[in-house]
Amino acid sequence: MERDLDNANPTILNVSQLPSRTRKGIAARHGPDSRCDSVVYPKSHWPYGSSSSSDEGDGDGEEPVDEQDIYDLISTISDPEHPHTLGQLSVVRLPDIHLSPSPAELSDRDSLVTVLVDLTPTINHCSLATVIGLAVRCRLEQTLPPNYRVDVRMKDGTHAQDDQVTKQLADKERVAAALENDTLQRMVDKMLETCA
Amino acid sequence: MTNPAPPAAEDLSTPPKPLAAAITPLPTFQPDLYQRAWSSIPHPTLPLLATAHAKSVTVFSLATFTKHSALTGGHARSVRTAAWQPPRGGTNNAGGTTNTKRLGLVTGSFDATAGMWSYDADTTTTRVDDDNDDRLLEREIRFGQDENENEQDKNEEEEEKEWEFNLVLEGHENEVKSLAFSPGGQYLATSSRDKSVWIWEDVSAGGADGNEDEDEWETVAVLSEHDGDVKAVAWCPSHLANAAGKRRHYSADVLASASYDNTVRVWREDADGEWVCVAVLEGHQGTVWGLQWEGRERGDGRFPRLLTFSADGLIKVWSLREEEEEEEEEGRQQEGNPFRAGFGGIPNTMRRSPREEWDCTAVLPKVHTRDIYSVSWSADTGLVASTGSDGVIVVYAEDDDSTPEDVVMSSPGGAEGAAENGTAGLKSNWRVLGTVSNAHGPYEVNHITWCKRFDPGTERRGKEEMLVTTGDDGVVRPWQVRIS
Repeated sequence: MERDLDNANPTILNVSQLPSRTRKGIAARHGPDSRCDSVVYPKSHWPYGSSSSSDEGDGDGEEPVDEQDIYDLISTISDPEHPHTLGQLSVVRLPDIHLSPSPAELSDRDSLVTVLVDLTPTINHCSLATVIGLAVRCRLEQTLPPNYRVDVRMKDGTHAQDDQVTKQLADKERVAAALENDTLQRMVDKMLETCA
Repeated sequence: MTNPAPPAAEDLSTPPKPLAAAITPLPTFQPDLYQRAWSSIPHPTLPLLATAHAKSVTVFSLATFTKHSALTGGHARSVRTAAWQPPRGGTNNAGGTTNTKRLGLVTGSFDATAGMWSYDADTTTTRVDDDNDDRLLEREIRFGQDENENEQDKNEEEEEKEWEFNLVLEGHENEVKSLAFSPGGQYLATSSRDKSVWIWEDVSAGGADGNEDEDEWETVAVLSEHDGDVKAVAWCPSHLANAAGKRRHYSADVLASASYDNTVRVWREDADGEWVCVAVLEGHQGTVWGLQWEGRERGDGRFPRLLTFSADGLIKVWSLREEEEEEEEEGRQQEGNPFRAGFGGIPNTMRRSPREEWDCTAVLPKVHTRDIYSVSWSADTGLVASTGSDGVIVVYAEDDDSTPEDVVMSSPGGAEGAAENGTAGLKSNWRVLGTVSNAHGPYEVNHITWCKRFDPGTERRGKEEMLVTTGDDGVVRPWQVRIS
């Protein structure tokens, strides 16, 4: 592992500086603690349809997902080259996460919700931007219900090849194929180890 | 416009104009696959459907909506797509030399290879005297129905042995994304993330003599002009291309490819046997996920159109600018088109235009809000069905009496280019006949295809068309479509 870091001295936020929920407890959403395979090839059938969805029981009392929940899911992902999380490195920022429409307004659980996450890689030529984006997309698809559509983008102007990386991350076929690549899969797995 | 509008189309007996489509779900194919399924390809004549999922293909019976057989063990990574091999030695209608007992399927995988498989239908069915498609079809249906529940495990084991992995086509550097046989079966095109399209030719020793056990294919062309993954390839239906074929300096086979670079390219084999790109179709603002040739003969005898669909959420129809028009235009547009002006004095027969001009002549009404992953254009009815990331199914019909004004109004940002260069009269207008939201619940739908019905629920077996969708939920779902 003798190689130069792309960014040897990133700015690191203290954990206490990170945005967290004050009005209610830390999100209780814990997804299945599984590899990304479970996203790409879901083993079980998500219950849906008019007959089953309302009877499943977990609909009542569960608070709708909000931006802080999304932040909590992905800010704990480890950076592939620094011993810090994406939240500490400000790669993931709460104001750059957007849900539309707000899940609180959904009429039924099949309605689509778009999660838009703009990432801010630590430096301009971060060769690992694609891997970070892949891990974020993977983490969200793994933990969110299947009516969520995850769009991960590189924030405008932060990355030299923003458009290419964003386009790759939006391409379902390429993402699926990337996760069948053992090397990439191992990197993503390692990054997700620090997620609760 | 000086184009004399030929009123010949009026003479054809046109069915009543479709106004609405009622799209209702039929019982899903069993068993559920419980993992992302990418695509489901119907056999061109038999009641069989091949669904690609994970590292295998499950073949379903269209008679019973249950599993018929499976192809496993040939690929190290996911199978993205599959294509049924046309029978060797020509079509059955020509009478005689085909071997309909052998099914051929080719699979394209993320492991960068394509695999050729065969299934000897003779081993599972009793011999009959004449081997025409109908009889085999009958046997397949009976076979499907005989397979009752408690014997299923045993049957599955036997069946899986019956698909033989014959040949692996290696050469692509990355995932194979699409593959397609030319209409006569002589060529196979494969496309990949490595940005290339490969054309393989059938050089099997047996060939038309029916010595089908020796599969042998060699590479005849590597087309590397795309700047990104080539997501899809499709051959023009040859009987239509020939009927409309005035471009005698090219062979009959025409291939089109769609790419991550937002373009579509059209390829032909020139007089020297070289495969060349004759057109680049630009206009989509995102990855072009795929394309479909028009499969229904046109009243005006024109060359089949090309339909493309994209991550930009749009479906576009493109028309070839044919030679009569080009000549007419020359008079008007000589100055504006230096390329063609250079050929002004050469007699028509000598002219070898290295390029074709394709114009966007329609943009279908925009319904989808995310990537369109799949569209199917029925060769029977001319209806178009689409689906994608938003999980919505949309069925569209073309208006016979489109006027250019309608098109301009209904498709901002679309077909305006055609108005300037002479295909304005070819513009068409499309209407939405019906939609289904959440076709696979909350999941994305990866594929849609028109497919003949053979199940007991249809009164026109082998004729009525249904839709089949394939989703991330691992469900393969047939839909009845009633037009009113």
